[in-house]
Amino acid sequence: MTGPALQVEGLETGYGEVQILWGIDINVPYGTLTTILGANGAGKSTLLRAITGIITPWKGKVFFNGEEITKVSPHVRASMGLIMVPEGRLIFPGMTVLENLEMGAFTKRARTRMAEQMDYALSLFPRLKERLSQRAGTLSGGEQQMLAVARGLMASPELLIFDEPSLGLAPKLVIEVFETIQKLKEEGITMLLVEQNVRLSLAITDYAYVLAEGKVVMEGRGDELEESEEVRRAYLGV
Amino acid sequence: MLATWLGAVLNGTLLGLLYGLAAIGLNLIWGVMNVINLSHGAFIALGMFAAYFMVHSFHLSPFIGVFAVLVMGVFLGMATYFVSLHRIISAPELSTLLATYSVSLVIIGLGTFIFTTNPRAIDVRMGALSIGGTVLPMTRVLTGLFSVGFILWLYYFLYRTWSGKAIRAVSMNRDAAELMGINTTITLALAFGIGVALAMTAGVLAATIFPFTILSGGGYELKSFVICVLGGLGSPLGAMIGGLILGLIENLITLQIPTSYVPFLEFAILVFILVVRPTGLLARR
Ligand SMILES: Nc1ncnc2c1ncn2[C@@H]1O[C@H](COP(=O)(O)OP(=O)(O)OP(=O)(O)O)[C@@H](O)[C@H]1O
Ligand SMILES: [Mg+2]
Repeated sequence: MTGPALQVEGLETGYGEVQILWGIDINVPYGTLTTILGANGAGKSTLLRAITGIITPWKGKVFFNGEEITKVSPHVRASMGLIMVPEGRLIFPGMTVLENLEMGAFTKRARTRMAEQMDYALSLFPRLKERLSQRAGTLSGGEQQMLAVARGLMASPELLIFDEPSLGLAPKLVIEVFETIQKLKEEGITMLLVEQNVRLSLAITDYAYVLAEGKVVMEGRGDELEESEEVRRAYLGV
Repeated sequence: MLATWLGAVLNGTLLGLLYGLAAIGLNLIWGVMNVINLSHGAFIALGMFAAYFMVHSFHLSPFIGVFAVLVMGVFLGMATYFVSLHRIISAPELSTLLATYSVSLVIIGLGTFIFTTNPRAIDVRMGALSIGGTVLPMTRVLTGLFSVGFILWLYYFLYRTWSGKAIRAVSMNRDAAELMGINTTITLALAFGIGVALAMTAGVLAATIFPFTILSGGGYELKSFVICVLGGLGSPLGAMIGGLILGLIENLITLQIPTSYVPFLEFAILVFILVVRPTGLLARR
């Protein structure tokens, strides 16, 4: 296909009367990793919620694989292969690790490839393999994050979206999360990443957008932004 | 003496299983969508009348017709969900409480108008079973066995099928479930439908033992609340255990005190547990 995997055009939305996003334009090309950076409260999660359909846009359009999905409900988007690993993990605490993974493959298109994806996900996270029959709610924070990522992979995603996957993790696990994303990138999986860890994100991303107060204030290739004075001053503290 | 006790234990067990079945519908709906279904008793009563008509109009055994009621109950429950609950499912609990209460008023109002409140009974003569001097009517034995069957079926459904697992996933995290591709609206409707269907099923079975009116569901509704508190929410097996405890207590206590004290006793248990262990006696797993 020629166009991008995901295209957001002039998106505006918010909660109740309060507008949060003021005309966002972003593209996620096939086979690339795109990152959205921004301070707390910039509207990153809100943007992802609009992309996955959990909240409805007030204005603007969202296209996935060239098809407009602005008004499509979230479970239908998931069945099209648009999958999010949500902020704060949102695993199913009362289910076992295995059941959580199975739920990741709920959609028809994912079910047929469940065994394959299960092998792949567990090869990435061997620690989960030892805990398949453990209740997910009793996993450690880091293990829950791995489970959330593995569950996302179970869906055989065409676009995999991460909302702050390294949030609240110990430095060693943060590195591990980024290594995993790097691996997925090498597999050619199209990804959209929201992160607070600017340095690590810019090091692996193809392209990045910087969000502030609901607007895109800067964008460019990962290495370009790494060099940029503004980014260095505002986010890298150098 | 011993025979009396044995009788109480056997009857308590069989009735307890029926109570457990009567409670799992309430338990499921409460646990999955955080809705306290005040029309639960009304649907149990509808099940009783379904049994009445299958016997009197179709000459069908309630133990066969119960499967048809289960299926129709799912559709009736789903329709009820879309009419009365769908638009307010995310509203504060008071709204859903009032909505299910109105459903109850509609069913009981119409039922009183159509069937009056004269007691009815169905006559299913199936002989009896004698165990250690206790004579158990076959209907009671079958009711107990069918109750276990339906409870185990629900357990299997929730833990072994995609739709059942979807219900559990939705009960744990609606947004995450939707993001995994689960149609949460249909899933919630299905959970409500199954809850209603199991209530009606319990009504069909209860009608083979006791006479009833359109108001008879109320007593089972009260027992169901006690059982939910006893066995905790979200687990069919917890409901079964809660039902067994209640059935046994009822039958053993009435060896000593008059039956008319039973509702008082049930309320006392309810209040006692709520004060001592508000999360339920067998806390949620
Ligand atoms: N459910 C909600 N209802 C009302 N306001 C909300 C809701 N969720 C977020 N907001 C508000 O929207 C704004 C943007 O929030 P959002 O969660 O998108 O930020 P974010 O960029 O993801 O921040 P963080 O890095 O802290 O996760 C914030 O001011 C927040 O208070
Ligand atoms: Mg966020």
